[in-house]
Amino acid sequence: MELKPSMPSSSLIDQQVFPGDVVLDLSKITSQTIKLGGGLRQDGDVISVMKAGVLKFSKPNKYWVETSHKRYVPSAGDNVLGIVVDARSDNFFVDIKGPTLAFLPVLAFEGGTRRNIPKFEMGTLLYVRVVKADTGMNPELSCMDASGKAAEYGPLKDGFMFETSTGLSRTLLSSPTCPVLETLGKKIAFEIAVGLNGRVWVNSSTPSIVVLVSNTIIQTASMSPTQQKIRVESLLQKMQ
Amino acid sequence: MDIERAGGRGANQLRPIDCFRDVLSRAHGSASCSQGETRVLAAVFGPKAGTKKNENPEKACIEVIWKPKTGQIGKTEKELEMILKRTLQNICLLSVHPNTTTSIIVQVVHDDGSLLPCAIHATCAALVDAGIPLKSLAVSLCCCLTESGQILLDPSKLEEQKMKAFVCLVFPSSVNSVLPEESTPATTKSTEQEIITSLTHGVMTVDDYFHCVEQGRAAVAPLSNILKKKMRSQSAGKSSKAA
Repeated sequence: MELKPSMPSSSLIDQQVFPGDVVLDLSKITSQTIKLGGGLRQDGDVISVMKAGVLKFSKPNKYWVETSHKRYVPSAGDNVLGIVVDARSDNFFVDIKGPTLAFLPVLAFEGGTRRNIPKFEMGTLLYVRVVKADTGMNPELSCMDASGKAAEYGPLKDGFMFETSTGLSRTLLSSPTCPVLETLGKKIAFEIAVGLNGRVWVNSSTPSIVVLVSNTIIQTASMSPTQQKIRVESLLQKMQ
Repeated sequence: MDIERAGGRGANQLRPIDCFRDVLSRAHGSASCSQGETRVLAAVFGPKAGTKKNENPEKACIEVIWKPKTGQIGKTEKELEMILKRTLQNICLLSVHPNTTTSIIVQVVHDDGSLLPCAIHATCAALVDAGIPLKSLAVSLCCCLTESGQILLDPSKLEEQKMKAFVCLVFPSSVNSVLPEESTPATTKSTEQEIITSLTHGVMTVDDYFHCVEQGRAAVAPLSNILKKKMRSQSAGKSSKAA
């Protein structure tokens, strides 16, 4: 099989790439530092793709592959929804839909001391921040933000949690606000917590609103923004 | 003397391939692949924490479960599981998630010849769907040798039973590259000549075997393009989800 004739690397950006595709030739780029995000790896003198997705580039030097899967690859700084599976003396074991369980230190809470350790049962839903996520190690979580304040992290009571793909979570968290949440928010009052690991928690005063919001989010996942607005408005009208 | 194939297929003609991703809602990745009447469904779960007892904890472990269409699980299924596992260990990047297990379940829906290639395509698509890091995709082909020495590609079940011998070959798929053609002729040649898996059944001469391998290699590029096209049309639908 012959390789395609010489093309600049920008031709694969914003294109669908598959595992094995070579996207950058490092021997041409001598002085720059290149930052690789998810889905890319260095293979000797070239950068090749590990996961299928759309190749993205952000100036000056960041490359990554945008993918959407049902599992999550932990990365530091992400806000995720975890479920407690076990409690030890110094750590909670939390499932964040990644390749390994994550550890939440028992003291990683605002004003946490050995005397006021929170008691989380198995199955408690937590909104946490990923502090460290290296390959081969269990990720470390925290219920505090970088400055040590509680800032919305912690257990989520009542409400309903459902699982989606990581791509949909990113859409829901995008700014400006995604059309579904904006249109829903104009007419209904509800609380929502979105984890980058594909878990979404919704709470409201009545169960029917919770069901409406969660069904809307799931159903409009694969629609374009205008279609989403139309769909949401028709669902809201049906309710009223 | 050329043999006539059912449906007027040429000796080098493959049956129509179709591939669907994300067919199962509970599996982390799934795909269904069909080549003519042969149809295989693959589901991927993982990566999950922990490896099995005798496996190397510094690498990810791959576990394959083969489910035949009918009958009990016996030695043929175990052999196919081992073949698939070794093939996938070559295309998966095992050092990205050490000490994890990825389970792959292959369910045969219908077997009309060329079962292993179909299973490999389905498994590859399911791994891509689940987001398991891969070195490259794999394309696979079955070549059979008739009594008269003619080589037929992609035999159906009836043809397979009449053949003197057949070979099942797995190659790494062709890649999209930004490297200019002249810069790495040596390395390109060496990756092109890679065979991941070769499985023979029956008796054939060495020349016939190499002939089959050449035919198989010639089919790698068109097969890769077809499979990528099928997977691309699925993900275009998906990326508009995320957009």
